[in-house]
Amino acid sequence: MSLIETALDLLSNAFLLIGLFFVFLGMLGLVRLPDVYNRLHTTTKIGTLGAFGVMLSLLLKVGFSPIGVKAITVGLFLLLTAPIAAHMISRAAHRHGVGLCEESVIDEYGKVYTRDRKEQE
Amino acid sequence: MISMFTLAIIIMVLAIIPCIYRIIKGPTIPDRVIALDAMTTVIVVMLGVYSFDQGSVFFMDVALVLSIIAFVGTVTIAKYLDEGVVL
Repeated sequence: MSLIETALDLLSNAFLLIGLFFVFLGMLGLVRLPDVYNRLHTTTKIGTLGAFGVMLSLLLKVGFSPIGVKAITVGLFLLLTAPIAAHMISRAAHRHGVGLCEESVIDEYGKVYTRDRKEQE
Repeated sequence: MISMFTLAIIIMVLAIIPCIYRIIKGPTIPDRVIALDAMTTVIVVMLGVYSFDQGSVFFMDVALVLSIIAFVGTVTIAKYLDEGVVL
């Protein structure tokens, strides 16, 4: 095994561990955090860092074969669409009337939204 | 000796359990949508790792289609909660 192959193998294992670590953190936050918005913030990390890390690890492991190219396609798609979906569902939750947790300090979007509605009326 | 990718599959199967807990218990509808989205992402990653483990390309197609369906479903439910109509 040449030096480059060993380096790629080590990098692949490192990215796999990073992805698994972020999946673990996301699940921990999904159980433990008190609020819809806090949980949303922590589960988006699975879509971006976790999935992209594991898919990049697969690409580094197999090179530009069909499996590797499709893996990096899935990773880039998740990296693009997970923040969009998170933004839409959080805005819908706020307009639907889901409140913040009791420890929250500030809610700027609520003030902006009520002011907009008064101007419309 | 257990390989790294087998370990990854085991961890991701265990990671589905908190999602199901949140889907059952979650107080509001956005909670359940968020947990479903996270569970779909974990399943997509698991399919990718399984595709490498079996040496077959077809599971990666399944992963791509499942991620697209999850995105469209989340956006649809968000629009339904926000405006009351889907289209």
